[in-house]
Amino acid sequence: MRYYLLLLAFFSLAGCAAPAAEASVNLSDLQPLPEVSATAVTPLRVAVAAIISPKGTVQSYTPLLTYLSAELDRPVELVQRRTYGEVNDLIESGDIDLAFVCTSAYVVGKREFDMQLLAAPQVMGDTVYHSLLIVPTDSPAQSMADLRGAVFAFTDPISTSGRNYPIRLVQQMGETPESFFSRTFYTYSHDDAIRAVANLVADGAAVDSLVYAFAVEREPELAEKTRVIHTSPAFGIPPVVVSPNARPQLVADLQTALLQMHTSAAGRIALKTAGIDRFVLIDDAAYESVRELETAVSRDP
Amino acid sequence: MPIHNSQFTIHNSPFFARFWRFAGSFSVRTKILGIVLALVLLLGVGVTVQVRGVLAQALEQRLQEQSVSVARDVAARATDMILINDLFSLHQLLVETQVNNPDVRYAFVTAPDGAVLAHTFGPGFPPDLLAANPVRARDHHQTVLLQTDEGMVWDTAVPIFEGKAGVARVGLSEASMQITIAALTGQMLLTTVIVSAVGIAAATLLTWVVTRPIIDLKQAAEAVGQGDFQRRVAPWANDEIGELAGAFNAMTADLAQAEQERAERDHLRSQLLEKVIAAQEEERRRIARELHDETGQSLTSLMVHLQMVNQQCPLPETREQLDGVRSLVAQTLDNVHNLALELRPSVLDDLGLAAALRRYVRDYQTRYALEVDLEIVGLEERLNPALETAVYRIIQESLTNIARHAQAHMASVLLEQRHGRIRAIIEDDGVGFDWEAVKSNGRLGLYGMRERVELLNGTLTIESEPGQGTSIFVEAPL
Repeated sequence: MRYYLLLLAFFSLAGCAAPAAEASVNLSDLQPLPEVSATAVTPLRVAVAAIISPKGTVQSYTPLLTYLSAELDRPVELVQRRTYGEVNDLIESGDIDLAFVCTSAYVVGKREFDMQLLAAPQVMGDTVYHSLLIVPTDSPAQSMADLRGAVFAFTDPISTSGRNYPIRLVQQMGETPESFFSRTFYTYSHDDAIRAVANLVADGAAVDSLVYAFAVEREPELAEKTRVIHTSPAFGIPPVVVSPNARPQLVADLQTALLQMHTSAAGRIALKTAGIDRFVLIDDAAYESVRELETAVSRDP
Repeated sequence: MPIHNSQFTIHNSPFFARFWRFAGSFSVRTKILGIVLALVLLLGVGVTVQVRGVLAQALEQRLQEQSVSVARDVAARATDMILINDLFSLHQLLVETQVNNPDVRYAFVTAPDGAVLAHTFGPGFPPDLLAANPVRARDHHQTVLLQTDEGMVWDTAVPIFEGKAGVARVGLSEASMQITIAALTGQMLLTTVIVSAVGIAAATLLTWVVTRPIIDLKQAAEAVGQGDFQRRVAPWANDEIGELAGAFNAMTADLAQAEQERAERDHLRSQLLEKVIAAQEEERRRIARELHDETGQSLTSLMVHLQMVNQQCPLPETREQLDGVRSLVAQTLDNVHNLALELRPSVLDDLGLAAALRRYVRDYQTRYALEVDLEIVGLEERLNPALETAVYRIIQESLTNIARHAQAHMASVLLEQRHGRIRAIIEDDGVGFDWEAVKSNGRLGLYGMRERVELLNGTLTIESEPGQGTSIFVEAPL
């Protein structure tokens, strides 16, 4: 009798581990997916241009959007697109109520469909930013001239700090990006451009000074791995804009909410998360240097 | 002695008896084949089951881990695509994931509100699948085993960007794993079958090696049993069976020697018996001749002298007495003649068996008043004197026994010589006797008859039962 048990144990040893199914699904029964039902309340659609990566944008702007949602008593939807151009298209078509855009996108939008300035963030007491030329810490390069033959990362095809400014530097040396650099590519966000340099994917990149400061604060190792070799003159800070066709009441409500933000505790926390002191009014003249740079770059291909 | 008791119980238990009956009903060949086959099959099937189980477990584990890693990869790569609403790239990502991982049955991504953003099912979507693996936003991942119409599927759900961008779901099918396991099982079972075939061949050879000496031993034992003590077993191997063969050969040699000694003793005994019988016959012949020649002559002379004295005697009284003495002497002379005849009829030596028997039967009928039907066939020539004496004595002894014990009315003797053999049948219609009882009584007469016949390489058979008369058959070569 003991032997039978032993034999039984031997044969059951292998079989006893088979796990049991937790649910039953018929994979051949394919049904059409339900249409997304339109929400009763139209959400406020807020676009954030891809100055920083999509994940970084969500992390930085979620408290701010939550604040706006509470102030306006409406759900807020965050809309992101890969390029500045796509966001501009959405603003023009009216699919976006409010947008945080980059300076060159504003300049282009203003020219093409009269994009309206709503407010501008004030960072470290000022409403300007710079383009920083960064290289890996170990790189011997001291200026743009040293980056001849390098791999260079641009952020966006219409970015001021991430493309127009470094191209202008190359043009001033009598070169074109194609002749000066061995290879260039787009990261579509400034923090990814910093990471590309930090991880030695690129030999150099030009990035938004605000994003750089914000990024190295969050990820100190980025500061260890990168080095700033050049700082541009000041440009007008990337503004907050609305479509020219936006309802005036909504524009007024939004402007009030933004400008009043720093006066409430919740607003201050949201501003701090986004790396902003407060929102202030700004004049289109602040972007004149950006326009000049763009004009210069497009004139000297 | 509890140990002894328990052994006794085990060996006598019905189970054990049944087992031995069962085990004993197969030849050694079948047993060895059975052992080899049972061993190979048990090992093969056991290992197959075990390996199959272990492999299934390992592959299952790997599939589960792979499902987690693929889902996490999809989630990581899908994040930005979802955030910037790049649904085409998202769909491409899922399709590529499925192409690059053949085990991936499906992949899909849901928005935080549960709407399906992209999937690999094509025209529709299985409605039950969405709810089959609910994962919480704070979970790292959650893997469940789903029973589907296409088999088991390991479904892993990974929240994308802590759930802010939705959930990535990937299902890995066990189908290819099952194919692998089935292939391995088939391979192992095939191996088992092949090893079994080799095992059968090896076992057949082994059986031949083992049983060949045993069959030799059996044949030798049968030969020895039939008296062939020269038979020996060839030493095949230096194992236990080889030792048995050696012991068997030693035993056969001992038996041969014992047989030889026994034959010598028998021979000596026969010689002795022959000499005793010859001496006895010679002594009887001498005494019979003495009685006939000396005592008979003396008594005859005495009678002649008594006749003469009687004629010359004047006294009638004395003559009468002398007549009485003379008739007493005559009777004594008759008795002496009969005694001499009993002891050794000279006619047997002079005229042969047939004449002596006729003479004896005539006297016998006179003496015992019993009718004897004597029939003699063939027997025209004289036979070997020892044979003649032996047959004469056996018939004499038989007839004497009939007269003394059988209470018969009639006896018959048939003696014939045919085909180089002599045959005698002595029968009576008397009371018969119980052969077993007579044997146990230790009656030597019958044994003496048989001894005589066997000395001549003949046989003696007695058939008798109480009330049925007696028949004695004697047969011997000339």
